[in-house]
Amino acid sequence: MTILLSEVKILDPQSPHHRKKVNVLIEDGEIAAIGSTRYRAGQVVDGKGAILTPGWFDLQANFCDPGEEHKEDLTTGRAVAMAGGFTEIAVLPNTRPVIQAKNDIEYIKRGNRNSLVQLWPVAAISKDTAGENFTEILDLQAAGAVAFSDGLVPLWNTDLLRKSLQYVQKFNGLVIDRPQEQWLSRFGVMNEGVNSALLGMKGVPALAEDIAVARDLQLLEYTGGKLHLANISTAKSVALIRRAKKKGLQVTCDVAIHQLLYTDDNILEFDSNFKVSPPLRTAKDIKALVKGLLDGTIDALVSAHQPQDEESKNLEFDQAACGMNNMQVALPMVLMLQDRVPLELLLTRLTTGPRAVLGLPGPVIDKGAVANLTLFRPAEKWQYDARTNLSKSANSPLFGQEVTGKVLAVANNGQFQQF
Amino acid sequence: MPLSQQHLLGIKNITAEDIQLIFTTADNFKEVINRPIKKVPSLRDITIANVFFENSTRTRLSFELAEKRLSADVINFSAASSSVKKGETLLDTVNNILAMKVDMVVMRHASPGAPHFLARHIRANIVNAGDGTHEHPTQALLDTFSIREKLGGVAGKKVAIIGDIMHSRVAISNIFALQKLGAEVMVCGPITLLPKYIGALGVKVELDVQKALAWCDVANVLRIQLERQQIKYFPSLREYALYYGINRERLNRLDKEITIMHPGPINRGVELNSDVADSEHAIILDQVENGVAIRMAILYLLANAAA
Repeated sequence: MTILLSEVKILDPQSPHHRKKVNVLIEDGEIAAIGSTRYRAGQVVDGKGAILTPGWFDLQANFCDPGEEHKEDLTTGRAVAMAGGFTEIAVLPNTRPVIQAKNDIEYIKRGNRNSLVQLWPVAAISKDTAGENFTEILDLQAAGAVAFSDGLVPLWNTDLLRKSLQYVQKFNGLVIDRPQEQWLSRFGVMNEGVNSALLGMKGVPALAEDIAVARDLQLLEYTGGKLHLANISTAKSVALIRRAKKKGLQVTCDVAIHQLLYTDDNILEFDSNFKVSPPLRTAKDIKALVKGLLDGTIDALVSAHQPQDEESKNLEFDQAACGMNNMQVALPMVLMLQDRVPLELLLTRLTTGPRAVLGLPGPVIDKGAVANLTLFRPAEKWQYDARTNLSKSANSPLFGQEVTGKVLAVANNGQFQQF
Repeated sequence: MPLSQQHLLGIKNITAEDIQLIFTTADNFKEVINRPIKKVPSLRDITIANVFFENSTRTRLSFELAEKRLSADVINFSAASSSVKKGETLLDTVNNILAMKVDMVVMRHASPGAPHFLARHIRANIVNAGDGTHEHPTQALLDTFSIREKLGGVAGKKVAIIGDIMHSRVAISNIFALQKLGAEVMVCGPITLLPKYIGALGVKVELDVQKALAWCDVANVLRIQLERQQIKYFPSLREYALYYGINRERLNRLDKEITIMHPGPINRGVELNSDVADSEHAIILDQVENGVAIRMAILYLLANAAA
């Protein structure tokens, strides 16, 4: 089967065709030809006004499977991923049961052979993510765990974190922490600030994250090894990580897309779609996070896809579950950042950035390379609603709205999907 | 002139003109409830549900009395005896009540924003009778109404709110109401009971209760909300009483008379001593009486705003 992507603009700094407008011929899962020739093909995708990049990689998504399949499952998760432009996803271990044994890893990876979207399981560091005892890290790594993390649960046990950073060095492994100090954040439901004072709600101070980041970096300096800090949200975190990188520590970090678009002002009407963890912060934090993206301190943008059903989300704000359903609208959300961050840079944070964090090779758009691709048209508008939503949940502030930026097609693992 | 809102969710959402309208309406109702025949037919054929998901005695009684004096039909629902404990959601509960053709809902709930949540989902006038640690608008209105009655006005007056500001819905609503009416506001208490960013609301912050008393014309003393404190904020009630409790001796050290308020119920001997609570400076029982008039005014105005 041959597919022609006609007149697409390539954005891939690794590719000799970077920034060129070309025709791309895909044959048997490989890029068979690139150039100005209009190749003959069985299927033609009109790429006018569209951009072609390496397939996007999401470092953090929760597909709720096994355990909460009423919110999302691996099948709908993959469908959402494709429509969102992602060809590879690292899934969190925060399922029920937790991803902590090699059978669990096998369960996540089972569908990969016949799917376009490849799932990379992140295994739990501690049993049931309770922070008390190790999982069988070496065995999990051998089974295919791509990194080790308690996912949404911050690593509160300083000693366990220290030993994890040491233990994974046997295979040059990666530990991921969601930095948040537990005592300072107890009972908090939003950012601590003027707005939490106005709304009478318990706050999670930025300090809770800053202290955890500082602790983690000091541990890393002591242990050596590789650490990734997930979902950073504060100005101070960016500064601390920037300094640690300068020092030569092997630390990387990511930020959730929504963290760059919304602040705690969005909570003033108690809309629980804006309840996330870490909480939405302030304009000042966003400014620092953007600066961190621009200067390379922040390695990856993640969807932090966290589907929640009506029964968990459509509640009084303090009772509602955390999380945003972002994956299918990741592109429109990322494009909203264009006024502050160049598009090319944003795209690298969805392609090479996250893969480098995990030490995975990045696909390159060149003749003879594997076709792992995302094609999108930035100016195309579409309605994100019950008709177009592929997720089992709809907990997004953009739900019901017209959004700008549409994924036209994705290719990976010998498969091609056009929308 | 009607109210600018069809619900009373919080003081933040209403204007100074709304407050003045509520006050002048309450003046009339206060006159009514001091007549031998205390009842008027204003809300005949209107059904009001008092939905209380948290314990309350005086607020509920005050609302019920206000409703009955206006000739409304009243139903009471409290969480203790309800299906909430069976796992029914707030929305289901209230929709069930509305299916019985209720016109207005007076709700108390432990979650900040619960009445706002309800207002987005149901069709009825909603009166917030306290939502967690967020707002308690009718309390703030009766407090400011009582200050206006006692001191002849609110503008330019100095009001210190003393005690557990962090866990108090009375504090936030009072700050908004007092500021909208032109008063100066100070909050005072142990620093661990003051939200870190409270100063950004334009209030003075004072840690020494004697200095707060010396500054103010009115001290609104709040109840120590032990039931709402999930963790430790100060060492002991004894220490609180010693260093923040208001007693006759503290008032005697002032070179002026100040007015003492308390939203009730009082922890006597903790935040307020009996020698102050029962003195001529305290207007605590006037607050209670005014509470009925204010609530009558609010219900009356909302019912007319709806039509």
